[in-house]
Parts: sequence; structure tokens; C-alpha cells
Amino acid sequence: MWMRFKRDRTGVISACIVLAFFAIAALAPLISKLYGKDAYTRYGAEAPIGELLNDNGYPVKPNGGISSDFWFGIEPGLGRDVFMQLVYGIRTSLSLAIAITLLSVLTAIVIGVAGGYLGGRADYFLGRLTDLMMSFPNQLFFVAFTPVVTAVFVDKQDEMPTWMRACVLIYVMWLLGWMTLARLLRGQTLSLREREFVEAAKVAGTPPARIVRKELLPNLVTPILVQSTYMLPNNVTAIAGLSFLGVGMPEPVPDWGRMFAKGAEVYQSDLTYMFFPGGAMVIFILAFNLLGDSVRDAFDPKAGR
Amino acid sequence: MTAARHDRVVGGAATPDGISQAATDNRQAGAEITMSRASIKPARAAFAALAAGALFLTGCSSGGGGSDEGSDTKAKKQGEDVAYSFGDEKASTGPAAQVKGAKEGGTIKLLQRDSFAHLDPGQIYVSDEGALAKLIHRGLTTYKKVSDNKYEVVGDLATDSGKKSDGGKTWTYKLKDGIKFEDGSPITSKDFRHTIERKFASFMTEGPTFIESWMTGKGSVESRKELPDGPYKGKHLPKSMLETPDDKTIVFHFKEPQGELPYALAMAGYAVVSEKADTKQKYDKKPLTSGPYKIASFKSGKSMKLVRNKEWDPKTDPMRNQYPDGFDIQFGVSFEDSTKRLMSDAGENKTATSLTNSVDASSMQKVRTDPEVKKRSISGFQSYVSYLNINTDRIKNKKVRQAIAYAMPSQSIVTAFGGAGGGELAGNYISPTLVGHKPTDPFGKLKKPQGDVAKAKKLLKESGKKGMKLTFAYQNAPEWQNFSVAAADNLKKAGFNVQRKDVIADTYYDQIGKVKDNNYDIYHNSWGADWPSASTVIPNLFEGRQVQDGAANYSHLKNPKWDKEMDRIRAITNPNEAAGEWQKLADKILKEDTPSIPMHYYKTIQLFGSNIGGAYFDETLHDISPNSLYVKK
Repeated sequence: MWMRFKRDRTGVISACIVLAFFAIAALAPLISKLYGKDAYTRYGAEAPIGELLNDNGYPVKPNGGISSDFWFGIEPGLGRDVFMQLVYGIRTSLSLAIAITLLSVLTAIVIGVAGGYLGGRADYFLGRLTDLMMSFPNQLFFVAFTPVVTAVFVDKQDEMPTWMRACVLIYVMWLLGWMTLARLLRGQTLSLREREFVEAAKVAGTPPARIVRKELLPNLVTPILVQSTYMLPNNVTAIAGLSFLGVGMPEPVPDWGRMFAKGAEVYQSDLTYMFFPGGAMVIFILAFNLLGDSVRDAFDPKAGR
Repeated sequence: MTAARHDRVVGGAATPDGISQAATDNRQAGAEITMSRASIKPARAAFAALAAGALFLTGCSSGGGGSDEGSDTKAKKQGEDVAYSFGDEKASTGPAAQVKGAKEGGTIKLLQRDSFAHLDPGQIYVSDEGALAKLIHRGLTTYKKVSDNKYEVVGDLATDSGKKSDGGKTWTYKLKDGIKFEDGSPITSKDFRHTIERKFASFMTEGPTFIESWMTGKGSVESRKELPDGPYKGKHLPKSMLETPDDKTIVFHFKEPQGELPYALAMAGYAVVSEKADTKQKYDKKPLTSGPYKIASFKSGKSMKLVRNKEWDPKTDPMRNQYPDGFDIQFGVSFEDSTKRLMSDAGENKTATSLTNSVDASSMQKVRTDPEVKKRSISGFQSYVSYLNINTDRIKNKKVRQAIAYAMPSQSIVTAFGGAGGGELAGNYISPTLVGHKPTDPFGKLKKPQGDVAKAKKLLKESGKKGMKLTFAYQNAPEWQNFSVAAADNLKKAGFNVQRKDVIADTYYDQIGKVKDNNYDIYHNSWGADWPSASTVIPNLFEGRQVQDGAANYSHLKNPKWDKEMDRIRAITNPNEAAGEWQKLADKILKEDTPSIPMHYYKTIQLFGSNIGGAYFDETLHDISPNSLYVKK
């Protein structure tokens, strides 16, 4: 299988790109140290007017203020470094997306396999639960949910701590993100359950837990892996969407999605600002999706393209 | 968001007699600014994705503004040292000065965001309607531009700006000859008596109430009881308040000397209403006009057409011209849309402009750097000033307040509002649009626009409150959000434990207006004057007797010393002398008590099409002057 994957050039390149993104996210503090700037200092605003930003709040230098000091330019208005914003923004988004994906996949495995294997009444209730959760519009739900949490858990004089906002985000996206995979796994489990080797294990008196672990799960690895590689970039875009709507991670936490909102605000006068977050996002999503395809092909060569 | 919107409200509520009327004066909330552009984001989603895609194809060719050189901030210090005088009979005589090269004919298109809620002069307070009133309504007095930065309050329907006697307690006005409503009926002193008296009726809820308060000597709510049904049941105000000895004479009697009546009468809210044609509530939809234009049709929320008023006699009018055949007003055009349309200058947009739509913050850079667009723009100060209030009930230590004042990065709020085109750094409480403004700067906000964190740190340490929790409430709108990031950053560096709380724009002023259960330590507000005098600013913001829920004294400052001083200045009947005193008092309050920090003076930029001539920024209206516009052929 590994050999098959290695032969797929697109897959290898995509994998390298994806790994590079994870490396950037993981090593953000190191990059910041080497680059000599951080994501919070308002370089442009703290310099005298006309040096980095003009008196309209836009970079003085062309192309969004790109220079040897500011590789990706300067953020209009607040004057932070775009490169650092992007690196730390990727870090924020990817961390959240990984957490959400892991939780969703685990939940999906438990509910999907349980429903499929147990069948009958349990399957009926789990199926309805899945349907119910699917009918929630998750972006709207999140927009409505955050103020409730703020009112319940946060003192009126305090701002919502960043970790709590992150938890709320993860919680909601997880709560509303496991259903598709759960359905898929239920279907797979249903068909596997009737197969001879499972029947044989049952007749041999193997306990159900063991059947699930040793007989069913190994056969479900392929869909789980393939689906996760699709789910993760989807989560990244969903988080970005929430940030774009202004309900993602709050300022001043650097955030990938919020950079789009800013870009849309300033595109008339500073088109370059959109370029780096936009470009990075397109490359990331494309690479991840191609990687997903390659993984599927590698696992299941007969499926063809 | 609600009607308050970018709140082009003409002003605050001045309450010269203090305590009683601030209480229930609902207008106080009307003066505030609730920028509401938060809701536009979703619509842009598609655009953002598109832009990102396009960039891949074209590479990054654009962006970057270059330096703006700050050219027009230095060259055009409009508003600074603006001077007013009260004009005599000669200055009040028509016709208005001709605009050079102006031609008659054509129709001008006006793009407006909001429909007009009120057309009845007595109900007009917000600036959209105030600008329209310049075209259709006339009052006793009005403002006339004499030269750059110099304005005169002259008689409009009256022969002069008013004659005072009895130390300012009595004011007499004589009406001009040949003044008529659009139906040809003459305007007499009876109409003016009716105009004033109907403002006491219960259905008149929106307009200004200054003159009623001055006549009765009571607050705006109490004064209504003097004439509960207005003039509609045959009752009139006693001669000790309002007299009309003949058809041409109107005499006002006040309880206390009033030096600023000519300003008050120039408000659109005191424009003339016909006694015979008054239809009470229905007048609000179909008023009888007296200005150079009359309403041909009005579809609320959609459009309005104005045509020439044949009965208007230019010889009676000292400041209005009548060049275009009519105006075609379109409603529902957002600031962004009107900016884009006027920037494109294509088709019908060539003869278009707007009464009150200004350039939105995101287009500011483009408007100010593209020479083709820039030459079709006018800019100037609005009357609003933004303040960061400190809740003095919660923060009693003056050193802490001073530390906050030094730490505030005022430049960030100017940048958030679009940079030099959207505002200017404020050194003190008094707007440059007000008479008597001096560029004083007690906290060095002009010298250090990014705040003086080192000094703030030192002061906070001296006060012994290092690390204290500071809850900073701000309106959930992009401008304030951006500012809050910078402000919190500076305050944290100075040693505060800052807690930012964003509050929904709709309820923001209700939340910060609470006196008792106010959870916040610092919060911003914006306030504008009703006429170019600080008498409608300083008392509202800092008079201890006005502290109550919803009142504009958001910092809850209660210092009898200042209240006494305010009483003294109110008694000065020479407006220019009083203006100087208000400025001095304002600086004293800022220096000694620091109840709030002045942050920036609002500015606006407006655009007009290339076929429009005669455009200039009227510093009394704080918008483009609609009266001198003409269509180039």
C-alpha cells in the first residue's frame, strides 16, 4: 500500500505541502524568532505616520507594503505584520481543525459502528439522533450559541477568555460535525456484519467488543482515513467562514479566517492583503483534497479513478 | 439597525435650565452615533473568494497606496477658527449671491441611504431631513456663508437676525414683504405663532424644544403642560411668552436672558408651518413648503421628486439659489453604493450627488489618492466628537484616570474611521466647528497620537493600582472593534488588566447609559452640538445635575464647582464671550477631573458627479450645501 502511494506523484507532492503547513503551524514561535517579529505588535501604527502607513491607514509602499522587513506586507489600519499574522493564523485554524476532526471521527466511529453492529432499536435511535443533529445549521447555531455561553459562564465585567471561545468553537463544530461519517460507517458495518468471518467469530463465541475491534474496525480504516482527510480541510474552511462572519476567534488572536474579512474590507485600496491568506488557503485545501484522493487510491486500487 | 444609524442626527439636547429637563428628554439618545456597518460582511463573502481567485491569475499588481503627503490636512484646516456673527438687515436682504458660471435647468439626482421619516418642520431633528429642509422649508433665521470659514446668522423670513432687549429676555422679529407658501398664501406672524404653539401638542415628539423651554422656564416635558393641546382648541400662549402685535411682528419673551436664540431659530425644527393648511399628523407627509422647491411626489423608502416652487421669491431670500429645475431623490442607496456610483461617474451619476451620504471608510484611500475622484470631492468637519468616558463612580482615583488618558491611542480611532478623511485627532472636548474652539492639548494627544504608555505606566504605579481590572465596553462595529484592539494593547502595556466587552450596537447606548448597574469602567460615545456653541455640549456631558439613566453625562461626573461655573457662563448673553468661557471651562474639567478623554473630531468626505457645479461644504450643515448646486451643460 505504501508502495502504491509512493508511486503516485500528485499524492506525494500534496502530502509534502500538507506536512509543510503542519510544520509551519507547529513551528510558528520558532519562525517568529528567526524572522524577528511577532503577530501582535502594531508595527505600522506605532511608527510615525508616513513611515509605514500613510494617514489613511494604508501601507506607504506599493503591494501592501511588502519589503525586506515585512515579507508579506503590513496590515492596513492596525499595522501588524501580515506574514506573522498568517503563520499564527494558520496555527490557530489548524489546531482547532485537528481537535474538531479527531473528536468528530471518534464520535462517528462509536455511534456509527454501534448502530450498525447492534441494529434493531439501538440502531433506530442512533439513526434518528444522527438525523436530528444533521438538521441543525451549524453556522447559525454557533452564532446563536456563543452569547448564551458568554452570559452563563462569563462575569459581566470580564471578557470571554480565549480558551473558552476556542472550546465553544470546538464543541459546536464537533457536535454538528460527526454525522456524515457516522452514517457511512453504519452502512459499512451493516454489510460487514453479515459477512462470513464475522458470523464465524460469533459462532466461535468471540465477545462483541473483540469482534468490533479485531474484525470490524480493521475493515473500516479505509473510509475513516479517507473521510478524515476530507473532513479536516472542510473544518478549516468552516472555521474561516465563522471568523469571516465575525464569530470565530476574537481579536487580537491571529486568525486565518479573519484575514479574509479584513481583506474584503480593504480590497479596493490594498488588494495584495488578500493574496497571501487567500493563496495559502487555496493551496492548502487543494493539496489536502488531492491527498485524500491519493490515500483512497492507495488503499483501494480497484476503485480506479 | 435602528433609525439612529450613522446618526446623522443634528445634535444633542441642550438643556439650559439643567436638572428637570434632562430627565425625560428622549432626544438625548438621538444625538448619539451608532455606526452600523457590521451587517455588511456576509454579502461580501462571494466577492472575497472571487478576489482571492483573481489574484492568482493576475498576480499582485495593485495595492499599496503610497504616501498621501497629508496634503489636504494641512492646506484645508476647515472649521478651525470658524467665525459666526449675527447679521443685520442689509445682510438679510435677498437675493442670494450668484454662483459664478451657474446655469439654470437640469435635474440633480440625490442618492440617499435612508428615507425621510418626517417632513413636518416641527418634527425634523436628524440631519438628512435637516439638509432636505434647506430646499423646501424656511424659518425666521438661517446661516449665510460670507467667506471661507466665516458665516453669518441672518434673517431668512425675518428682516434681520433679531433684536434683543430687556437684557436678552425679549427678542423681536419683523417679517419681510413678499414671502409666501407654495400655494401663494402670504406668510404672516400668525403662522409663526402657530408654528411655535403647535410644538406643545402631544403628537409633536421629534423636534427641538429649546425655545419652548426658554419661554416657559421649564424642562421639555413640563413645558408642554402650558398648552397641552397646542393651538388646536383655540387656546394660545399668554402675551408674557409670545406676542404678535401685528401681521409682521413676532416677540419672544423668555424667563432668563438668552443670547443664542438666532442659532436656535435657524434649526429646521423651527421652520414655518401654515396655520390654515395645518393638518396635524398628516402634515408630516404633505407639508406646505416655503423654500425654492416643493414636493411633487414622495414614495417613502423609494423616491422623492422636488420641483421649482413658483411662489418663492428670490428677492426675499439671502442664501438660497434655484438653479436646477428639480431634484430626483433615490432612497436605499448605502454609503458603499453611493460612493462606488459617484466614483464611477458614469451615465446619470454625472449629475448626481448626495445630501448626507458620505464616503465609506474602506473607499477613503481611493477617493483621497485618485486625482480624478478627489477633485469631485468636498470634505469638512462634522459636529461630532468621540469621547472615551471613564465611569467616575467606579474609578475615583484621578491618577488612574490620567493614566488612561495618556495611554489612549487616539490615532487608531482616526485610522479606523478611514484616516485623515474620516476624522482628526482631538486635543480637547470642543469641536473645531464650534465658536471659541482653541487647539489646546492638555494630555498631549496631538503630539503623541499613539498614546504615551510610559507616562501612563508611571502614573498607574504612583496610584498604587497596578494590575487593576479595567472593563472596556465598545460598540460591536468594525471601527470600534479595531480601535479596541489598539486601546487594549496600550492599556495592557501600561499595567491594566483590560477586559474588552463588545456590546451590540442596538443596545449599546442603553447599556452604557445606566448609572447604577453599570458594569463597565470605560466606554466611548459621540456627541454633537445643535448649533455652533458649546452650550449644547459641555453641560450635557459634564453637568452633575444631569446625571441619570440615559443622559449624556456618561462619566457620572458630579462636581458642584463646575455646575456653578456653567450657570455663570449661561448668564453671559454675548455668544462670543460665552464661547471663550466654555472652552476654558472644558479644559479645566479635562485637566482637573479627567472624566472622559476626547479622541477625535469626525470629518466627512462627499462626492459629486462631474456635471455638477457649485458644490461646497457647508460648515453649518456639516454636509454639502444643496442650495448652490447647478447642472453644467
